[in-house]
Amino acid sequence: MSDCGWLSDRMPAVALGRSTWTAEETSHLGGCRWCQDEWDLIRLSGRLGKDVAAELDPASTTRAVLQRLARSVEQARVRRKAWGFAALAGAAAAAVMVWTGRPATVPSPAARAPVVASLQIPLPELDYLLPAELNAVLQTMDEPYVGGSADSPAWADPDDEVLDSGFDTLEG
Amino acid sequence: MSASTTPRSTRSTPESDPALVAAYRLGDERAAGELIGRHIGALGRFLYSSGADRDEVDDLVQETLFRAFRRLATWRGEASFRSWLFTIGHNLLRDHFRSGKGHRVLSLDDHELPGQSDPHSDLVAGEAEERIRQGLAGLPRLQREVFLLRTQEGSEYEEIAMELGTTPGAARVHYHHAVKRLKELVR
Repeated sequence: MSDCGWLSDRMPAVALGRSTWTAEETSHLGGCRWCQDEWDLIRLSGRLGKDVAAELDPASTTRAVLQRLARSVEQARVRRKAWGFAALAGAAAAAVMVWTGRPATVPSPAARAPVVASLQIPLPELDYLLPAELNAVLQTMDEPYVGGSADSPAWADPDDEVLDSGFDTLEG
Repeated sequence: MSASTTPRSTRSTPESDPALVAAYRLGDERAAGELIGRHIGALGRFLYSSGADRDEVDDLVQETLFRAFRRLATWRGEASFRSWLFTIGHNLLRDHFRSGKGHRVLSLDDHELPGQSDPHSDLVAGEAEERIRQGLAGLPRLQREVFLLRTQEGSEYEEIAMELGTTPGAARVHYHHAVKRLKELVR
């Protein structure tokens, strides 16, 4: 046995008060069990949650939603900033690792010489000398060596005269 | 779509949902207030009718609206703004039930409501309402939405079809399926 359904399309409008039953429809509804069951369902559904909806406050809900949206925008901005810093720090760390991991380079003699000349050795015992005394001490010291290394051409490949002179000195 | 996309010109004519959404996206918070005022009641009824507890509806409505406005850029207008809200609310409610925060107040097979002290007719009506809520919660989404738009908003099938992005014939079929299933619960 199938449902009647003769009043189905009219029921929502009547239940919401937008229309009324005709005499014929009323008569049918009084005698049709199918339509009565459906009418009960539609009437109950039409008023379902009406009181719940009436308790909702659009103004306070709007305020709350807009506040939450503003907070979420701010949180997203802070998160983006934090990720930016993290990315920058990561890039910097990677750059340092690459830099420190590179093969050591041998400085040229020209580059090494000024380093030797400007080498500073702390001598606290000189700190209390007067300028004149300090000059006197400095005059007794050798000039700092700023020349080439032992493998300079003068020693690496001496000519006979230089060698003879050196041997003469050693033999007395 | 339930409304046209004509730009706002005067304050006296009601603005369409797409126009209000566009205005909000340009920074007009008043448009948000108008959209919320327009749909909050239907959204609350939809959530309650879909099985949300009475004291949870306010929070669920707020959460649904927050999620909707946060990702407003994803609303393409294929369905109406209201239907889009219902979809978000439906997903929220489903997650709510899955997480165990929401609780169904009545089993479909339970014919007794404990603790009721109302007169007999109210008890019967209240019990039937709860059965309908339970039944609605168990319906497929389209069946439920068509049924609620028809019985609570009084929408015609043509309007429902536009709202939900379907055809009037399909909306009619969904409605009758929903009625058939729910009728068993109020007998």
